[in-house]
Amino acid sequence: MQGGKQRAKKQLGLALVLLGLGLAGCSDSSSPRSPLVVAAYGSIDTTDPAQATTVSALQLLSALGDPLYAIHANGKIEPRLATALPKLSGDGLRAEIPLRQDVRFHDGSRFDAEAMAFSLRRFLAIGKLSYVVGDRIEAVRVLGPYRLGLKLRRPYTPLAALLSSVNLTPVSPRAYRQHRRSYLTGGFVGTGPYRLSFHSSQLQRLDPFNGYWGERPRNNGLALVSMGTSTGLFGALRSRDVDVLLSTSLDPDQQRALHQQAQRGQLREGAGPALEIGYISLLSDRPPLNNPKLRQALALSLNRAQIGRRVSDGLRPPLRGLVPPSLPGAVAAWPTHNIAAARQLLRGEGYCGAKPLQLNLTYRSNVPTDRLFALTWQESLRQELGDCLQLSLTGMESTTAYRQLGDGAFQLIMLDWIGDYPDADNYLMPLLACSKAKGHSCLVGASASSGSFWAAPGLQQQLEQTEKLEGPARIAVLESIQRRTGAAVPYLPVWLVRPRAWAQPQLSSPSFDGSGRVLLSQLSRRPQR
Amino acid sequence: MSRRSQLMRYLGSRLLLAPVMLWLIASLVFLLLRVAPGDPVDALLGSRASEAARSQLRHQLGLDQPLPLQYLHFLGDLLHANLGTSLVNARSVGAIVRESLPASLELGLVALAIAIVLGLTAGFSGIARPEGKLDLVGRLYGIGTYALPSFWAAMVLQLVFAVGLGWFPVGGRYPPTLVPPTGTGFYLLDGLLSGNWQVISGALRHLALPAFTLGLLLSGIFDNALRLNLRRALRSDYVEAARSRGIGERQVVLRHALPNALLPVLTIAGITVASLIGGALLIEVIYSWPGIAYRLQEAINQRDYPLVQGIVVVVAALVVLVSLVVDVLVALLDPRISF
Repeated sequence: MQGGKQRAKKQLGLALVLLGLGLAGCSDSSSPRSPLVVAAYGSIDTTDPAQATTVSALQLLSALGDPLYAIHANGKIEPRLATALPKLSGDGLRAEIPLRQDVRFHDGSRFDAEAMAFSLRRFLAIGKLSYVVGDRIEAVRVLGPYRLGLKLRRPYTPLAALLSSVNLTPVSPRAYRQHRRSYLTGGFVGTGPYRLSFHSSQLQRLDPFNGYWGERPRNNGLALVSMGTSTGLFGALRSRDVDVLLSTSLDPDQQRALHQQAQRGQLREGAGPALEIGYISLLSDRPPLNNPKLRQALALSLNRAQIGRRVSDGLRPPLRGLVPPSLPGAVAAWPTHNIAAARQLLRGEGYCGAKPLQLNLTYRSNVPTDRLFALTWQESLRQELGDCLQLSLTGMESTTAYRQLGDGAFQLIMLDWIGDYPDADNYLMPLLACSKAKGHSCLVGASASSGSFWAAPGLQQQLEQTEKLEGPARIAVLESIQRRTGAAVPYLPVWLVRPRAWAQPQLSSPSFDGSGRVLLSQLSRRPQR
Repeated sequence: MSRRSQLMRYLGSRLLLAPVMLWLIASLVFLLLRVAPGDPVDALLGSRASEAARSQLRHQLGLDQPLPLQYLHFLGDLLHANLGTSLVNARSVGAIVRESLPASLELGLVALAIAIVLGLTAGFSGIARPEGKLDLVGRLYGIGTYALPSFWAAMVLQLVFAVGLGWFPVGGRYPPTLVPPTGTGFYLLDGLLSGNWQVISGALRHLALPAFTLGLLLSGIFDNALRLNLRRALRSDYVEAARSRGIGERQVVLRHALPNALLPVLTIAGITVASLIGGALLIEVIYSWPGIAYRLQEAINQRDYPLVQGIVVVVAALVVLVSLVVDVLVALLDPRISF
């Protein structure tokens, strides 16, 4: 009897061990025919282009849909669903766009001017970012079966760049008939190289679309997974749970580790164009920072190269302009690090010695790099300029900070910005535009809502000019705006953020388009030797 | 009054109080969310967009309505069992809850089973020789697992068993290359019902590590509770009486002391289940487990008012229900309890 019980216990134990080993052995490892697993941070709550605002959602949509124009990695705009660049009327208020005639939606229906007009009107009506487009496009017209007409509110030369936004990817009017004025979150019917076969907030399955008009995807499909922590993402790539990892929201030390692994040949790394800028907004209409000399001293005190090295091991290059250097019209207009000049300015304004200038820098506590930047700059100032300038720090959750930005609540606040489409205008307007100003103080406009409140006579006119001009004339105005801004220092550009992606060594290196999105259809397994 | 009538009266009063409690909780959450700085528009648009664009989106989302009106709409919808619509993705909150709740319950129930097995085994281990080596190990285990910070333990186990050894997936609920099963929402159950080994193994592999982590962390509570109650029971008069009647020590422990010692453990199990319905937030986040706590955390970050309110109301209702069931169960099992 006793022996029987013992035997039963042993058998149960053995069964449990075998089950454990069996489970551990049943790995999810993929075969060459299985879809590639691409991981990124944060859930994707919507697949509706009218609703999508997050980086992950836009990355997904870029694989499911095609915009009218796309920006190539070399920065050139090329037609996708359009066949040529927009033809503008003499007064610049009307644009005509010819469309491809060989495109079908995932549901088999034909893509034409009616479908494009349907999608644009839908976005203008319910798009969460509709203000970006609605501010420029007044009406959409169908000029012919494959000819689209746009009526603009004012002349706008970077129209093709605006129309390269993933949010404007067309959707099938047949599939979205019931969703003209409402969102369709559980599916997507567009024209892209993949069709959506499964969607939950954490997992999206993309199958190659057989009827795609362009180059077929180089893989057998994709599984996009979202994870909740940077550590989880990092570990998933290391343990080969995922094939490709996107850098969005990955902690800087983990990015650095993956970069080093890639340099050793253990991973494949791809980097996109640096379109995200990290900057500090200075409250320039209230003491003490309403004094331009103090703002200039602050600009001179910033050792971008050192901070970039310490915070990101050089993965974030220093930035001395508001426009990313890869875009036409960019200029390094902000002063370089010069402690002696900073000290002289501060001393001239009555600071240093017994009365150092005391400033408070707010950083977003949920953005790890912001905190590291703040601590590094604080320490750097303490060492180099401690008798003249002292920095105190305040951490604040980002949404709380955004709420108070327009109230002028922060002397200095660390922020970042990525344009909705890559054009200089999309970096200057959102930071400098001002519709109502009093002297150098902006009362109403983007400059006020972004926490700087800085204005300069004639600046708004210059900004508006950039929307009408083209070529070298436009570049000259863009540079002039930045030089004026760089001299006044209402903002302090800090660094550039380059999107990166890492793939397992048996995969091709991830490549990016000019908008900073991974070209998912070009990911492939390399043939085994 | 008979015991049965007393119990029914108690049950009735608890059921009557439940809606009041839920109304209070819902109202508190409604108010707290609006008092917190930042709204869904700030979370969606970040530092971008003009004030005009923000106002337009606020209007589109109905956030420009007076607060009392928003509150009345919320209560009206709640009375009709309508939890509202997410401001972030315009999906029904009810659907989101139905999607995420089974994930949390599946994780919670398996973790609870692991916690009970581990905790009771450890709690029972040193009872034959108090202050002996086994007893000491059991006590250390109970204190240690109870005191472990959950985020740290979860990360270490993830690092060792998923990243280092590669025995289990790092996160998620199901292999990403497979389409998750449809049915009850409990993947393990769906797999068992369909008899599909691929579904069972896929679900189990993903469930194993988070459930074990959570179970391990909870097991200390059961260990300590059983140890203390069993000690107390073994010193009680009825156990002495049993011993004096010549009943063997094994029988005394198993038949007389253990059932009495397990009664408070049942209450603890009930409270634990209730807390697990709300989800083990850190475990769900670290293992990217798409449960209700993970959704709640995202909804709070996005200031998705209806989703936060909906999740809190549903979780509160379930907690009320579970604690009521546990109270009734304990009352039925323990004749000493009066109301």
